[in-house]
Amino acid sequence: MRKKMLSFAILLLAVLVAVAPNLSSRAAAQEDKVLKIWHYESPNGAMGIAWQAAMDKFQELHPDVTIEFEARGFEEIRQTAPMILNSDEVPDVMEYNKGNATAGFLSQNGLLTDITDVAIERGWDQILSPGLQTTSRYENGIMGSGPWYGVTNYGEFVMVYYNVDMFEEYGVEVPTTLEEFENVMQTFVDAGITPLSLGATEYPAQHVFYQLVLSQADREWVDAFQLYQGDVDFHDEAFTFAAEKIVEWTERGFISEDSTGIPAEDMGVAFTNGEFPIMVSGSWWYGRFMNEITDFEWSTFLWPGNELHAGSGGNLWVVPANAKNKELAYDFIDITMSTEIQTLMGNEGGIPVNADLDQIEDPKIQELISNFNRIIEADGFAFYPDWPAPGYYDILVSGVQELIAGTMSPEEALDFLADPYFEYRETVTQ
Amino acid sequence: MTAQRSSLDRGYWVFMVPGALALLLVIIIPFLVNVAISFTEWNGITSPTFIGIENYERAAHDKTFWLSFKNNLYIIVSMTVIPTIVGLLLASFLYDYVANKIGKTAANIFRAGYYLPQILPVAIAGVVWRWILQPRWGVLNWLLGLVGIEPQNWLGDADIAIYSVMGIMVWFQIGYPLVIFMAALQRVDPELYEAASVDGANWFQKFVSITIHQIRPEIFVVVLMTLIHSLKIFAQIFVLTRGGPGRATMVPSYFSYQNFFERANIGYGATISTVMTVIIVVLTILFIRVQSRQELQEAL
Amino acid sequence: MIARHPLVVQRVNKALALIFLITLLIVMLFPFAIVTINAFKTPQEYASNGPLSLPGGFYTQGLKDFWKRVDFTNKLINSTVISVSVAIIGIGLALLNAFALGIGRVRGRVWFLILFLMANTLPQEALAYPLYYFAKYLGLYNTRLSVIIVLSVIQSAFGTYLLTSVFSTFPREIIEAARIDGANKLQLLTRIVAPISRPTLSVLFVFFFIWTWNEFFLPMILLVSTSNQTVPLAIAVLQGQHNMDATTSSASALLGILPCIVFFLLFQRTLTRGITAGSVK
Repeated sequence: MRKKMLSFAILLLAVLVAVAPNLSSRAAAQEDKVLKIWHYESPNGAMGIAWQAAMDKFQELHPDVTIEFEARGFEEIRQTAPMILNSDEVPDVMEYNKGNATAGFLSQNGLLTDITDVAIERGWDQILSPGLQTTSRYENGIMGSGPWYGVTNYGEFVMVYYNVDMFEEYGVEVPTTLEEFENVMQTFVDAGITPLSLGATEYPAQHVFYQLVLSQADREWVDAFQLYQGDVDFHDEAFTFAAEKIVEWTERGFISEDSTGIPAEDMGVAFTNGEFPIMVSGSWWYGRFMNEITDFEWSTFLWPGNELHAGSGGNLWVVPANAKNKELAYDFIDITMSTEIQTLMGNEGGIPVNADLDQIEDPKIQELISNFNRIIEADGFAFYPDWPAPGYYDILVSGVQELIAGTMSPEEALDFLADPYFEYRETVTQ
Repeated sequence: MTAQRSSLDRGYWVFMVPGALALLLVIIIPFLVNVAISFTEWNGITSPTFIGIENYERAAHDKTFWLSFKNNLYIIVSMTVIPTIVGLLLASFLYDYVANKIGKTAANIFRAGYYLPQILPVAIAGVVWRWILQPRWGVLNWLLGLVGIEPQNWLGDADIAIYSVMGIMVWFQIGYPLVIFMAALQRVDPELYEAASVDGANWFQKFVSITIHQIRPEIFVVVLMTLIHSLKIFAQIFVLTRGGPGRATMVPSYFSYQNFFERANIGYGATISTVMTVIIVVLTILFIRVQSRQELQEAL
Repeated sequence: MIARHPLVVQRVNKALALIFLITLLIVMLFPFAIVTINAFKTPQEYASNGPLSLPGGFYTQGLKDFWKRVDFTNKLINSTVISVSVAIIGIGLALLNAFALGIGRVRGRVWFLILFLMANTLPQEALAYPLYYFAKYLGLYNTRLSVIIVLSVIQSAFGTYLLTSVFSTFPREIIEAARIDGANKLQLLTRIVAPISRPTLSVLFVFFFIWTWNEFFLPMILLVSTSNQTVPLAIAVLQGQHNMDATTSSASALLGILPCIVFFLLFQRTLTRGITAGSVK
């Protein structure tokens, strides 16, 4: 046995020695001929496919450059970006989350490159409408204006998915006001069906909450809440309305009490199985539903009665301040913004910002894009409720859960949501 | 005895030097840095700002902070108390009855099977348990339905979420004491049992006065280590409930993680983890002193 | 311990025991069964029938795509190198420490033991930022070596504690006998103490390997390039921002733990070897 352990140890040593170059620091490759790209989109999703095509295109145009692409994890980047970007181990271009708490935070601390000149020179500011530009520009860590620290090349928004067959079966029509929406849901409840598929363990519940808030809010409200451009009162009409509605909807059976134990993934799968007639969530499900829903006909409508909707430009391409090949990075970003790649993205189920709409084949996608454009034209982007402060996502999840579970009253829940919001806002606006 | 010891045990300290050095660099100094950070306000990138004991004052008034420690007590029951007792009984059963009456291979198979939960990555275990405990189509509710019990919202009901987590932790943890105790039982001289049988002792008496007594070093170790793990528990909460519903399963480690990595509130996060560490260290000290005092009594 | 019961009762007892143990086994392994049935499903099957349904066939394309996408072979190598290194170094440190504390009974050993244990008591979040800055400063950021060093120290704490506890009850007669025979301390350690503690050392080896293999947090902090990353980090790639690739996660999880299972089974034999019975005499 001792001999075995000894030989094992020697073998190990050999292995260690053999891979020693890997143990120590990175190879000093021909750094000017390498483009490091990181993103965390699924390779089968619209963005993943489009960006792969973009990489191929880039390779054609720059045959002497080696592309080093790394498939990253969303959680990983979310947690470690402040550390990674504060070092030399950075990529040249990477996908990153938009908002004050993420891109805003990094830009304020000097970790992202100011690409304003590039954006103007390459015409990105013409491609993106002012509403879409909001998430690309940050002044002192607050989005909306100022230098460009990233650029988005797709869009996303929250809408209502519904099971067309079930609507027909129960004789309900697509609602155009919130009241009609409630009536539709009441019809289902009366028939013994919980109408809303909701994953309250994760983000979906806060999106419903936010849509309710937005039904009573206006642009000024959004700018105050998201861009810190005005005062925010967590007990104002909009917030109170939404909190009370969540409680009411749970009591009336629109939202199942079980939903606090259901993650987003299960919510989507349940809708795909036809278990619920309605699901409120984002455009990121669209492509997946197109592939996976085979048993019934489905469609979407914008949250009835709202001018404002949760949504924005998609995740940003950012160029870290310490990146080594910024010019190449800009070239790559440019390609992802090009009509060719954007049209491909659209055809794969994503929401492009610069596609040739005549080339979009699928009527379902045409519908998706036209809904998105409606929001752009109405300047209706309200972003997402967890953006204003880092870590606010968990607070919102907790708070809305407590509302659904009935463990906090609307006033208590709103207080719970208020404290962390103001805490961060004060540190930023000082 | 003292005279003999002094000539033998001079110079043993040399053997500790590599370990001590590594400990200093990798653990002690970072810990001291962490304590220093707890007196500052910092976002992790720019320079920290010294704010004295403000973070500690805040923690003292923070309801979530105290709630997280209270939840920890439940976790301790599920990660220390139950697994140790069950592990002891099961190890004894496998090592003695099963190995002798059914076969050593059988005992090994069972041991391997019971230990397997410790190998599954926590992230995957979390996903799978969420499927099992799913309120609408989860296996557990389906099984309970067969015997007429109402379906429950295991992880989403604030009243029972902590108990669900406890159950999962027991599942996760049992293999650990089991393997250690089964290895420990090999050190016990079978003749002790035979002698006791001759004296007329029954199974339980032998278990207590011989088995438990002989492997008490390992028992101490298991209890202390599982205690430490329960106080530090993080990954399982992260994948199962993220501290929810609401804050029903919030634990100190997750709370400090939220401050470190989500709120960019490094100073406050450092405060919480310093408090946690102090508590754990105090418990460790008490524990080890009791253990060494016991050993001293034995040696006499 | 041999019961003097009639054969029939013994048989019934055996059957009952088996029933109990097998039921427990099913409960313990049930989640694995679920992981397995999802590992071979197509995404469509999973979406239509849910996670608890049986797969229609043996779908492996998802896993193959994933393997290529994250270069899983590279991750397996990284994980193996790191886990084995940590296991060996961890045991080495623990053995040395415990020898001094448990056999040598160094003065103030209780306090040293507590100090060593601190490596295990510290929450990893607390270590993240300091270790990150240290690693950067020493040029070890984004190296597997940094992870090996840190995890070796952390794991060795448990090893130190376990071995010290065991060594404290080490039969003094053996040590006396060896010293009388003229053995020096190093010989005492390598020829007598270490061999006798083999079961405990084997347990430690298996534990350290498995714990290190499944470590997620500190490797995530210290390893930046995917070429340096380990299996758990690669699997985490499948957890997207809004969706999770459940079937590929299951498949890759199974694959990811195979080395651990193999390791555990290989060491089963060492874990069951009984040796001290004779040596005490």
